[in-house]
Amino acid sequence: MRRVLTMIMLGAAVALSGCSTVDYGDAQARETVNTDFGSTDLQMIASKMVDDMLVFPPIVQLTQNRRPVVFVDSIKNKTTEHIDTESITDTIQSKLLNSGKFRFVDMTKVESVREQLDYQSESGLVDPNTAAQMGRQIGAEFMMYGNFSSIVKREGSTKDVYYKFTLKLMNIQTGIIEWANEKEIRKTQKKSLFGM
Amino acid sequence: MTIFRPLMALLVALLLTACSASNMGQLEVDENGETVTRVYSNNSLLSSRISVPDLKQKKVGDLLYMQATLENDWKFQLDFQYKVKFFDADGFELQPEAQPWRQVVMAGRSQNNIKAIAPNPSAVRFEIWVQE
Repeated sequence: MRRVLTMIMLGAAVALSGCSTVDYGDAQARETVNTDFGSTDLQMIASKMVDDMLVFPPIVQLTQNRRPVVFVDSIKNKTTEHIDTESITDTIQSKLLNSGKFRFVDMTKVESVREQLDYQSESGLVDPNTAAQMGRQIGAEFMMYGNFSSIVKREGSTKDVYYKFTLKLMNIQTGIIEWANEKEIRKTQKKSLFGM
Repeated sequence: MTIFRPLMALLVALLLTACSASNMGQLEVDENGETVTRVYSNNSLLSSRISVPDLKQKKVGDLLYMQATLENDWKFQLDFQYKVKFFDADGFELQPEAQPWRQVVMAGRSQNNIKAIAPNPSAVRFEIWVQE
């Protein structure tokens, strides 16, 4: 009896010992683990916004001979999920910057820049000829901001999620919205008996 | 026991059913002033169901802008992904990690226009890649 019990415990230990593997995947591949906001959604939104902005005729004209300075305000997250909207605007900002059409100012680093300017001008340790001067920064001409909302519906084993991302570009001086666009995403999850 | 065995076989078959394949096809578009469309693929099934009846490109400002008309030659809905890769004059791919796979769902015997703009002004040609 004792031998049988030992064998059962050994068998259970082998059966329960999970085998975990870690692997790298394509970061650009479609991710459909569940209906929550994911990497594919982020990439689709960023690509759509950047593509549409760069081909919009008034923006093409605006960026023909100069690179306007933009600051990115926050994206208001109105969805029921915790989503890092800064990550979306970071991707959009990177793509626009790399296009050579826009330049950006980073309002999240104002205090760090001020500290560095104070250090360069007041510490006495920095050669005044190479120290960055106060009051020489370039003011942003445009503000980028937007909303992110969702509608979630459940019926039995079906879950439907609709996302809408809106992005706008406003001329700070005139208050005119020069460009705006939306990206809609619909994801549906159906749970079947065998989970296939 | 006679009922149990077919049921087990059915269960195993269901468990082993793969949901998707990682097949990849390529629709390459080579631009040398004139529009030349070359289509080849290592996924014969997918490529046999997709054709490119029209292809356009223009400069928007100094950025290359492309539009390809994809046609689903199959009578059923086709669900696949595409990616547009842009290359400079020396053949270097531009920002390869910035171009995501984009999902497209096409009804049977339908056409869909896909568009993409180059990530920067140095792009001179592009390729369209598709996968299931």
